[in-house]
Amino acid sequence: MTRVLGVGLLTGWGAGVAALPEDARQAAGARRVVPLATPPLAGERFRRATRECLLGVAAVEAALRESGLSRAAVAGPRTALVYVTAAAYAASNKGFIEGAGTTLHFPYTAPSAVPAEVAIEYGLTGGYVILVGGATAAVDALWQAGTLLAAGRADTALVLAVETFEECADLWARGRWATPRPLVEAAACAVLIGGGDDTGYGPGAASTLEALVARRAGETLACGPLVGLALARAAGAPSARLSGCWRGRRAQIAVAT
Amino acid sequence: MRPDLGRTSPTFGRTSAVAVVAAGVATPLGLDLVTFWSALCTGVDGISAIERFRVDDLRVGRGGEIKKLRTLRHGRLPRCRASALLLLAADDLLTRAALTADPARVAVVVGTALGGVEEGERALGERGARAAAAGLYDSPAHALAERLAARGPVLTVSTACASGATAMGVGADLLAARAADLVVAGGYDVLCRFVMRGFDALRSLTRESVRPFDRRRSGLLLGEGAALVLMARDADAPRMRLGRLLGHASSSDGSHVAAPDPQGRGLEHAVRGALAAAGVGGDAVDFVSAHGTGTPLNDRIETAVLRRVLGPRAGAVPVNSIKGALGHTMGAAATLEAIMCLLASRDGVVPGTAGYEEPDPACELDVRGAARAARPRVSLSTSLGFGGCNAALLLEGVS
Repeated sequence: MTRVLGVGLLTGWGAGVAALPEDARQAAGARRVVPLATPPLAGERFRRATRECLLGVAAVEAALRESGLSRAAVAGPRTALVYVTAAAYAASNKGFIEGAGTTLHFPYTAPSAVPAEVAIEYGLTGGYVILVGGATAAVDALWQAGTLLAAGRADTALVLAVETFEECADLWARGRWATPRPLVEAAACAVLIGGGDDTGYGPGAASTLEALVARRAGETLACGPLVGLALARAAGAPSARLSGCWRGRRAQIAVAT
Repeated sequence: MRPDLGRTSPTFGRTSAVAVVAAGVATPLGLDLVTFWSALCTGVDGISAIERFRVDDLRVGRGGEIKKLRTLRHGRLPRCRASALLLLAADDLLTRAALTADPARVAVVVGTALGGVEEGERALGERGARAAAAGLYDSPAHALAERLAARGPVLTVSTACASGATAMGVGADLLAARAADLVVAGGYDVLCRFVMRGFDALRSLTRESVRPFDRRRSGLLLGEGAALVLMARDADAPRMRLGRLLGHASSSDGSHVAAPDPQGRGLEHAVRGALAAAGVGGDAVDFVSAHGTGTPLNDRIETAVLRRVLGPRAGAVPVNSIKGALGHTMGAAATLEAIMCLLASRDGVVPGTAGYEEPDPACELDVRGAARAARPRVSLSTSLGFGGCNAALLLEGVS
């Protein structure tokens, strides 16, 4: 079973699980989107980076801190990066379509821009997979990371999820049948190491953690299972069954916390 | 003596070989596999003036556009062009193979650089939930799964222009993990105003012909298409098949959001990873389907990587790029190229590199403009994309 060294979590409620309210729906009130502030990352290199890129970098920083790992420990070809999102390309796409985009902006419309900025920042050059979808895709991402570890294709894997909604709030409101309110922006990263391939990956019913995540964090799409992982670790559980549902498909996986 | 295809590597880890049972395509060169392959081998030009959307304000208005979609054998084509191309490729695939597994054990893994972005653009000017949902990048994959009645995992991969290769790799991993018994994997992308505006602004598009590895190469042209393969575990697959995916690997450059690593270190890592996953060395490679976009930088970098990996044999291993014939089909490109590799093995013909006429001393590889007789057993296919994405596939054909 894949083992978690640490989870970095940033949500519209604040940093870490301690910031999550008991009832996200009540805490959100009339807000359709609970936004996450842009992290104050300094430096010339980030001057073109989008908000979602900066959130990705900040989530990895938090995950390394939680794991007690230095940047040097993950730099190089033996760390895999698996990125997942359902929505974090929409803002840059909308900006480009509406004419705000410049030549330099276009590459940032690709979902791959977020993990690219992360890979550059931390010197990650190992296995690289980017999945698009909601909570189910995050379970798929955890499985993919476990596969890379179990096959000896990586020593460490980062599973990163970023979701932003504010810039396209009206589109999400139109698609609210797919995403019950409140939509809560989030960025989360889990640092994983290998431990066998008994992951229990496959279809499965909703876990108790999934319901807890929905109640406490709100709808965070692909970040949901990683929020669940953070909650399980905070509760001291030795392992967690993570599940997710997106567009009618449900998946689950077991992870040693 | 041929290299042993069973060695292991302690450095990269092994992957399990999977069978590629059949393929289906929708491309500017033809809306079925037979027409596509025939056009590639005979040098048909799939590049034309773009007619489907406005290009008069762009520097370049040509590309590999599919002029007319055919009807499906069953059902109607969806409004979303990306989904329509995927369903056409699936329609073609299903003329050659059936999905014989329990639907809950059939997975769909497709790669895309753009997803449903054209629908997303439309959604900004329309009302209603349907348009908004169709604009999500994973919508076409779900449309495909629904049409195939596949109820297993449905994954959308978006490693930019390497997506089609990454998707095949993830599909192989699903089979190896027994998370599915059959996988329909591949890639797609549409030629739309969004992407034409972007590449035009980057000045990546050429006003001339696309000339991969040629001394006069000056840029790429975009194309559209979809390509799918049906994959199964080697032991479970029928004897009649196109070949096997022996190994695959991906990597990140970690150097730039839009440009490849100048030394090609990420691509080299992916290629060596795919070789190691298959348990072979560079000496096993009989043919290389290069990413070969026709930009000055890409082709020079790829050449350097291939020369490092293939060693002294680099100048003698046939290399081609099919992007001169149909443009860079982005998410579809790598799967189309993988299929081409397997068909080359089957038929003993390696398609030429359209546009290649004058050798470039900086690209000293065995590239030819015309098709040639050769029957590669093991082929290497390389792919790169925005975001420092690299992927490599090692394929074994059936002669």
